[in-house]
Amino acid sequence: MQIRDYILRRLMVLPILIIGTSIIVFALTRIGGSPVGIYLSHEMTPAQVAEIEARFHLDEPVPVQYFYWISGVVRGDLGWSGVAAAPVAEVFPNKLAATMELAIASGLVAVALGIALGTIAGARRNRLPDHIIRIVAVSGASMPMFWFAILLLIVFWVNLGWFPLGRSDPNIFASIAHPTGLYTIDAILAGSFKAFVDAIWHLVLPAVALGYGATAIIARMMRSSLVEELQEDYVDAARAKGLPERLVLRRHARRNALIPTVTVIGLTFGFLLQGTVVAEIVFRWPGIGRWMAAAVLRGDQATIMIYVMFTSILFLVVNLVVDVVYAYLDRRVVLGE
Amino acid sequence: MMSEGAEKNPSKSPAPVVASVADLQVHFQSKRGIVHAVDGVSFDIHDGETLGLVGETGCGKSVTARSFLRLVPKPPGIDAGGSILFRPRTTCDACEGRGCESCHQTGRVSAGCSACSGKGCSECVQSGEETLDLMQVSNSRMRSLRGDRIAMIFQDPGKALNPALTIGSQIAEVFYQHRSAEVLDAANVDVSGIDPGSLLLKRQAAQQSRTIERTLLKIPPLRSRRNQITAAVDDMVADALAETQIANPRKIMQRYPHELSGGMRQRVMIAQALACNPDLLIADEPTTALDVTVQARILELIHELQQRRQTAVLYISHDLSLVRRICDRVAVMYAGRIVEISDADQIFQDPRHPYTRGLLAALPSATQSRGKLAAIEGTVPELVDPTPSCRFSGRCPNEVETCARFDPHLQSVGDEHSVACFIYHEPPEGSGGRPTLAARSS
Repeated sequence: MQIRDYILRRLMVLPILIIGTSIIVFALTRIGGSPVGIYLSHEMTPAQVAEIEARFHLDEPVPVQYFYWISGVVRGDLGWSGVAAAPVAEVFPNKLAATMELAIASGLVAVALGIALGTIAGARRNRLPDHIIRIVAVSGASMPMFWFAILLLIVFWVNLGWFPLGRSDPNIFASIAHPTGLYTIDAILAGSFKAFVDAIWHLVLPAVALGYGATAIIARMMRSSLVEELQEDYVDAARAKGLPERLVLRRHARRNALIPTVTVIGLTFGFLLQGTVVAEIVFRWPGIGRWMAAAVLRGDQATIMIYVMFTSILFLVVNLVVDVVYAYLDRRVVLGE
Repeated sequence: MMSEGAEKNPSKSPAPVVASVADLQVHFQSKRGIVHAVDGVSFDIHDGETLGLVGETGCGKSVTARSFLRLVPKPPGIDAGGSILFRPRTTCDACEGRGCESCHQTGRVSAGCSACSGKGCSECVQSGEETLDLMQVSNSRMRSLRGDRIAMIFQDPGKALNPALTIGSQIAEVFYQHRSAEVLDAANVDVSGIDPGSLLLKRQAAQQSRTIERTLLKIPPLRSRRNQITAAVDDMVADALAETQIANPRKIMQRYPHELSGGMRQRVMIAQALACNPDLLIADEPTTALDVTVQARILELIHELQQRRQTAVLYISHDLSLVRRICDRVAVMYAGRIVEISDADQIFQDPRHPYTRGLLAALPSATQSRGKLAAIEGTVPELVDPTPSCRFSGRCPNEVETCARFDPHLQSVGDEHSVACFIYHEPPEGSGGRPTLAARSS
């Protein structure tokens, strides 16, 4: 089967998945009670509350409410976020961009660094670099992220003052346009080196806090699968052909060692997404995770709905990408059978 | 030790020695002590002969073979001593490796010793030919020999081929590593200049390109020249595959190992091993993982290619009947030692060492009635820090006290026939006595 056909077939499941998820999540959030609370204030009379409930169809049965909600979503109306005090559809893209910038930055670094460290450790098994990398990896995988994040905050923001908090310097932020919402990209588009440095500068601490755990997981997996591959016969056969050790490692062993690592990288993505909630709260990053945490605490159901929907779509896409990469690396895998 | 037989019987062994193992010792570090996996192994391999190395699992035959290519992992492996002298040949100038009168159709001629220009010196053990000690040569020299002068066929072709690369690209690596000048020649690519393009192409033909260089080579002006190189290598790969009687080599080159049958994969391995017309082919149980019917055809193929090119083959096996069929000479290994070495016919007709006798007695025969199969009593000794004694003592039917106290060494008992056993030669002075074959052999 062609890879393109396979991708299309997998994507066709997407609408069904979205509707299914939305029904489940909608039902679950409504179990927590009416969402009306977040729209009210103390001065309102019962008559006013009833009026609001009627206006937003909150007095109807849950299935009817769902129908109103989904027809709103189709028209681009994602509801009103009580936490952000603005329509969800308006806030969502900016917050999403902030989170994506953070997640992609730490994800890319984690993948590159994790594979590199794992390769070094696996190729120099039981020697000094391996021991160092293993210590780093074990601590990364076992340290609670909120604790590590706070530690970074205390050392590098409070004590040393090397890195700032938040997402950008207000003056620099105002100096350029933000068409994509990804500040690094925006800075490049605007051609402002100062804005670019500022964006990176703000990214460092939260990205390190978020990426350390993922790096550790990937490096450990890469190391152990490389150690395993290096004992295979084909590695000796490659050496027997007269290949230099560099090529034996890169062309032969590493490629096969990447196969199980790719699965772990896919899983790590979920880990990153979940981690953004903590990292954003600690580093005051104006992203979707922090917004979500506040929304859950205050019963902002419109926000929760969109967040869960978005996350599930993202997971489906990531899994699809993992499957395709997997089939590319391991030729024995046949997609779609 | 070097070519001992050749000196004694100049008339009988005309073929020169291509490799000579002398007192090879490979040990392994283990938790319980040092394992003497190979402990004082010596033998010669002559040009064009097939030497069978037989023995049971764990007797050190694979470690001996892998020592030729220095593929024993270290640690835990330890080079404990000994040497493997190897005389690499070069491509015959007269025929450019195609085979002609002057090189006896092998395409190879011996290379002169650089130290004495052929007169014979200590460097080349008076042979006048280039002689390398494989245990001592530099890593880069070792790499240039691997796959070019010494090649290896592995036991399980399903595991010895990389599952992630196509057959074609795996065989191509041999040419990139060892024949990059010929590749550029055949591709008709002019790289004589010192412009960056030529340098990139040269590095590409020697498989030295980094990712960024490969990207540069995809840019149109260089791209067509790079494609010429790829096409030239593809031709060479297709020829190599065709040698092993693979039908439709161009199609097979595009395939991945898992898409081929076991027999096909082993043919691919053979094609890969013989691609550079090596002087010595090490075959480590090449048919063990194959069906019996396929086995026969693979053996025929190896034999035929060997006959045509006069390649020396070190054939490792535990299958005695198979060794009898294909080997010129046989060395029997037991517990890290060679206990008997001789002509194949002689060793099967007149085995001298009690272990060899036991092995041959254990062979089922088609002509005799089936009774209980004979077996050698006892188990193989542990090779951790062994004491000086015959390794076979404890299992030997002819054992006397001497055998447990002294260590027998290979000594000649006839034409090209050596045995390590006190039955055939005097034990050291002060020992208890000498065993005889008659002792308990009935």
